[in-house]
Amino acid sequence: MSDFVYFFTFQDSSIAFVVIGITLLGIGSAYVGTYSFLDKKALLGDAISHAVLPGICLGFMLAGEKNPIYIVTGAFLSGALATFLTSWLKSNTRLSDDAIIASILSIFFGFGVVLLTVIQKSGNPEMAGLNQFIFGNAIAILEEDLYIYGGLAILIIITLTAFRKEFSMLVFNADFGKSIGYPMGAIRLVFNVLMILAVVIGIQAIGVVLMAALLIAPGAAARFWTDKLGKLLLIAGAFSAVSGILGTYVSFVIPQMPTGPWVVVFLSLFAFASFLFAPKKGVLSRFIARRYYLKKTHQDHLLKLIYHGLESGKNSFPIEEIYESFPYRKRQTKHTIDELLKTDLLTLNQGLIDFTSKGKSEAKRIVRLHRLWELYLNEYMNIAPDHVHDSAEKLEHILTPELEALLENRLNYPKLDPHQEAIPRDNDEL
Amino acid sequence: MIINVDSPVLEIHDLTVSYDQSPVLWNVDLSLPAGKLIGILGPNGAGKSTLIKAVMGLIPITGGYVKLFDRELNEVRSRISYVPQRESVDWNFPASVLDVVMMGTYGKLGLFRRPGKKEKKIAMDCLEKVGMQAFVDRQISELSGGQQQRVFIARALAQEADLYLMDEPFAGVDMATETAIFQLLQEMTAAGKTVIVVHHDIHSAMNYFDWIIMLNLHLVASGPKAQVVTEELLRKTYGGKLNLLTKVTDIIRQKDFNPLKS
Repeated sequence: MSDFVYFFTFQDSSIAFVVIGITLLGIGSAYVGTYSFLDKKALLGDAISHAVLPGICLGFMLAGEKNPIYIVTGAFLSGALATFLTSWLKSNTRLSDDAIIASILSIFFGFGVVLLTVIQKSGNPEMAGLNQFIFGNAIAILEEDLYIYGGLAILIIITLTAFRKEFSMLVFNADFGKSIGYPMGAIRLVFNVLMILAVVIGIQAIGVVLMAALLIAPGAAARFWTDKLGKLLLIAGAFSAVSGILGTYVSFVIPQMPTGPWVVVFLSLFAFASFLFAPKKGVLSRFIARRYYLKKTHQDHLLKLIYHGLESGKNSFPIEEIYESFPYRKRQTKHTIDELLKTDLLTLNQGLIDFTSKGKSEAKRIVRLHRLWELYLNEYMNIAPDHVHDSAEKLEHILTPELEALLENRLNYPKLDPHQEAIPRDNDEL
Repeated sequence: MIINVDSPVLEIHDLTVSYDQSPVLWNVDLSLPAGKLIGILGPNGAGKSTLIKAVMGLIPITGGYVKLFDRELNEVRSRISYVPQRESVDWNFPASVLDVVMMGTYGKLGLFRRPGKKEKKIAMDCLEKVGMQAFVDRQISELSGGQQQRVFIARALAQEADLYLMDEPFAGVDMATETAIFQLLQEMTAAGKTVIVVHHDIHSAMNYFDWIIMLNLHLVASGPKAQVVTEELLRKTYGGKLNLLTKVTDIIRQKDFNPLKS
């Protein structure tokens, strides 16, 4: 607990620095990543993040120490080479996208691991920190390094904000952009540079193996919550920053604990929660919508049953008879009747069920939609009268008032359905 | 039957286009008059879309040149509007109808600058012209095919151009939308604009267009409807495969280089 207070009150200025750094980095990479996710180039981010490893090692070898300028430059150049090779191979060979990305990723990463081993064997005392580049360690980042990473993150955020309309066009409709004279090739180049920079600034905090998650997961999770680009970027940035801070906290509390995996764990929680609980697109709300629909269907069928009874001359409807009409579903039927009583559509008097006036007009509406649809199928789609019932049984629950008006109009306010049964209107007597 | 005009809006001179190794358009040479509704007809794979993409500089040209208003494309871009095929974009992109239509103003707006009130006003006016003003805040993922097409046309109108190149604006739209779009195009040509439309249905083409271009890997015909719509030219365009041309294309594809490229 004291760790928690100590960390989040930022008494230690170096912690405050790391938190600011990881927040900027998280927002920057989520920002770039969301665009590349929308552009369906998520795998490219993965390839780039693995491909920066040999550059880091070469930068280290040249500098002979962990010099951030050498390392960032090396990482950037090797990421750029990987990006360039990816598009060059695509236009000059017949290899498919996935084969190219997979080869680039594994070849560069393999080469990087070889270099890393060489450096470790060399016995250079400075090399201790180099392993951190694999899984990241946010706490170990030096303050002067943070200036470089934070500065680059701010550069990414500013560029993406300033060029928002250009990058949106690049993703949505690059051909149109080209047709109005925008330099789409240059814009694509700037975007790729930003993507590589986003990877480069993340390597020390998150590590090359997991950096792709910080690019893609925030956008993918945020996509469940909104259909607006502005909000999407904000939500993705927030997910990413919060995960970054929590991951950093864990690696602060537990010694020797890498940051990257924990950031990914927290990001996954956000993604999973979005998948489950997001309104409209989440699994839960879709489940609830379906439950609601099934409930409504049962209510409609029950109202229709009583209506058909009245139509055939019945004066009263014992509740037991309704239960018998839905065999094996007594509990559900009881529940539905309770609902209908509560919403004032039915009345129950000494075991006899009857409509309220509101209930009667609702029942008429459902029967009317059913029969109108049957007639439409029969008249306009030439479907035989004995084949129209099943379709109407399903569509009666979802036809809107606008469609009802359209059907009435097309069919010229008909009196009878294809089975010669009356189509009930609100003022009709039974 | 290729009819040329004086001071054309669009002049295509001896244009050859190849994808990778295979030539898809052979030596197209034509000129088009202003203020007409012009249809590009031809079977699937005839190179119709390729022709207008080449005119817009979206794909590299193997040989020949294109002149618009007697100028190079880059000098007159603001006077030209291109409507890509509806299927060429991802409609799940998180954007509203207004966002997409406003893209039509980006050309005049230029890089860096963000659209403001004036651009929004233009976009709203254009949405009204295509009868979509009620959908202004709708997400584009929720639109029907016909509505998507109207949004694309509204975006083109927002460009306030003189020459419009549209790739299959009638593809996959309902009858009501087709009629509405056609009326709009007629109004545009009546106002002196030139509209070139890639179209796949011959029957409606006979009603719609003043001038017809028939294409099947090479130019079969270009001229006023009354002069070029003959049984013979239609058969040349749609009937009988171009066996020889296809065979030559195959030979070129198997080579390591494209001999047509200079």
